[in-house]
Amino acid sequence: MVPLSWYLILAFMLIGLGGYGMMVKRNLIRILIGAEIMGNGVNIALVAMSLYSPVFTFTGQGLIILIISVAAAHTALALVLMLMYNRRYDTVDLGQPIVMEEP
Amino acid sequence: MQESTALDLLEPGEFLLIAGIILILAYLALEHKEIVYAAFFFGFMASFVAGIFLLLEAPFIAGMQIAVYTGGISALIIFAVLLLPRAQDSSLEEFSSPRKRQIGLIMATLVIILSGVLAFIFPWAESFDDTFIAISNDLNELALWLWADNGIYVQIIALIMITSLVGAIALLKMDKAEQLVSIRGEFGIEAEPELQELDVLEDEEPDTEEHEEVDD
Repeated sequence: MVPLSWYLILAFMLIGLGGYGMMVKRNLIRILIGAEIMGNGVNIALVAMSLYSPVFTFTGQGLIILIISVAAAHTALALVLMLMYNRRYDTVDLGQPIVMEEP
Repeated sequence: MQESTALDLLEPGEFLLIAGIILILAYLALEHKEIVYAAFFFGFMASFVAGIFLLLEAPFIAGMQIAVYTGGISALIIFAVLLLPRAQDSSLEEFSSPRKRQIGLIMATLVIILSGVLAFIFPWAESFDDTFIAISNDLNELALWLWADNGIYVQIIALIMITSLVGAIALLKMDKAEQLVSIRGEFGIEAEPELQELDVLEDEEPDTEEHEEVDD
């Protein structure tokens, strides 16, 4: 039987990797991939903790179903925001300084 | 006896194999120079995460993971790569400064260590069982929990999702809609500046003629 700590270690490593990608990368799509990797880590931690908890409930699994559904919606929204950013500033590089336009 | 020990070792072995593949694929999804390959690596990683859910006796979640992450989100990311040719520029993968990368690495390590410490040192960690009983395969109970006990939250989240998606479509179509005369209006407040100026000029001309007549 695999102990809970192993699942949590995997989850934390995924969260750390995703956070590294979000902090360091310049490409907008790479940042989105980092966010999704973090989300996967959180999902693993939630499912593992709900299954190993002394009182079994479906809270963990129900939450994961909702999280996965919302993840699809927020990825679509992030894609639209990337397209808008590219249209307005003509780049997908977050490392470049941008000048805000006056209204 | 030997068979039972072999079976006991099988599950940790499976876990270690899948976890190793997940970590390697996640690293490649972040660090591979070609963004298209990175998107594919992310899709493969998501399907191996479904394997972890199967190990946790949660097959419904595993199915959703494959359908949404591997099928949907990976396809969306590949669409994003195709719609944004600038994203394929490999110069974007170079770090703006080595210090930034070092800071990112340190912060990520801190996140991993601190969350690990929080999980294992706090007293609630001891209250968890060493093993779990696999009763999660009962989909009826899961459906009842989701739709009968907590149906209102599901509906609220569905409403938020549809609002965000409609907002996203509206954002994308805004520029195109603003160019349409039928929406902007040919006259009135929303008329184009040139038309407004013409209207002002037309209004002013009769006034000047009247003044001239008075002067005469």
